[in-house]
Amino acid sequence: MLPTPDVAADYEKVYEPAEDSFLLLDCLEQEKDYINTHYSSSPLVVEIGTGSGIVTTFMHQSIVPNGLFITTDVNPHACLASKATSLKNGGTPYLDSIRSDLTTALRDNIVDILIFNPPYVPAEEVPGIPKSEDAYEWLDLALLGGSDGMVVTDRLLESLGTILSPNGVAYILFCARNKPQQVVENMEQKGWQCEHIMTRKAGWEVLSVYRFKLL
Amino acid sequence: MKFLTTNFVKCTSKACDSTTDNFPLQFNDCELIQEEQEFKPEFLLNILDRLDWSAVLKVAHDLGNDSLPQALPENVDPEDPDTLALLKDLHSLLLETNITQGEMKCRACEHVYYIKNSIPNFLLPPHLA
Ligand SMILES: C[S@@+](CC[C@H](N)C(=O)[O-])C[C@H]1O[C@@H](n2cnc3c(N)ncnc32)[C@H](O)[C@@H]1O
Ligand SMILES: [Zn+2]
Repeated sequence: MLPTPDVAADYEKVYEPAEDSFLLLDCLEQEKDYINTHYSSSPLVVEIGTGSGIVTTFMHQSIVPNGLFITTDVNPHACLASKATSLKNGGTPYLDSIRSDLTTALRDNIVDILIFNPPYVPAEEVPGIPKSEDAYEWLDLALLGGSDGMVVTDRLLESLGTILSPNGVAYILFCARNKPQQVVENMEQKGWQCEHIMTRKAGWEVLSVYRFKLL
Repeated sequence: MKFLTTNFVKCTSKACDSTTDNFPLQFNDCELIQEEQEFKPEFLLNILDRLDWSAVLKVAHDLGNDSLPQALPENVDPEDPDTLALLKDLHSLLLETNITQGEMKCRACEHVYYIKNSIPNFLLPPHLA
C-alpha cells in the first residue's frame, strides 16, 4: 500500500476526501505501471476539480514524481487547499493551481494524464458559482451534477479530444446512476478506447473509474 | 502562479479559439516573488521540450526580463558550462518565479483576468461564458 497523503483543507468549504477519492487513489496505484510505461518521465498531469488536492498529491508522491502538475477547480478555497496539501507532503518541483471551469483555460492538446472525480450526484440542476467567497454553497458544487449527475462530466467528454495530447489518457469516476456503460458505448462509437479500471460499493453508491484514450 | 504556467494557459473565451492572439496572455502590473526549488537539470530538459519559446520571451518581456536568448540552443548539453548557466537561469525563471498578484489580458478580446493570492482566476462573468 502506498501512503495516503495528509490533507490541509477546511472541510466547510472544500470537499473532504471520501470513498470516491480513495477509489481514485487505488485505481491510480493499480495503473502505476501503465502510466510509467506509456509516458515520458515528465508527463503533464491535470486534475480537474481538485478539492483538497489529495489525488494530485498522491500522484506526485507515489506515481509520477517527475510529473508536471496543474490542478483546476471553480472553488478558490480548493485551489489554495490543493497547493497546501501538496506542500504538507513535501511538495513537488512544479505544481500550480488555477481557478477555472474544467480545463477551459489550458491550451489545446497538451494534457498527458487527466483525472476527474466530478460532481456526479443526480440533481435538479448544477448549482451556480456562489457570489461570496465565504458561502457554504461551495460544497454543493462538489456533488451536484444535474440531470443523471452527468451535466459537468458530459461537457468534459465532449471536448476530451481537444484537451488530451495525442497519446493522452483521462481517468474519470462515475456512480451507477451516471449510467457509465451507456457513456462507454457512446464514447466507443466516437473512436475512444474505454477501459474499466475498478468498481466499488460505497454506502448506497456504486462507484467506478474508467480510462479513456483515443484509438 | 508560476512563470511556467504562463506557457500553458490561454483566454477561456470560445470565440478567441479561432484567433492566435489568445496565447500567451499579456501580463500587467504583476508582483513577483522567488520561491526556492531544488535545481534538477534533467527535469528542466524535459520541460524545455514542451515550451513555446516565443511565448516565454513575450511573457518575460511583459515582466521586465529581456535577457533571454532569441532561440534555445539546438543541442542542449547540460555538461557544457554555458548551457548549464542557461538552465540555471531558466530554472529560476520558470519554476522559482511566482506571480502573486497581477493582470492577464487576452490580446484578442481584451478581457482581463486577475491573479490573487498566486491563484489566477479564469472564470468568465456569466454574460461572457
Ligand atoms: C467530488 S469533488 C472531488 C474533490 C477531489 N478531487 C477528491 O477526489 O476528493 C468535485 C470537485 O469538483 C469541483 N468542480 C465542480 N464543478 C467544476 C467545474 N465545472 N470545473 C472545475 N471544477 C469543478 C468542485 O468544486 C469539487 O472540488
Ligand atoms: Zn479572449
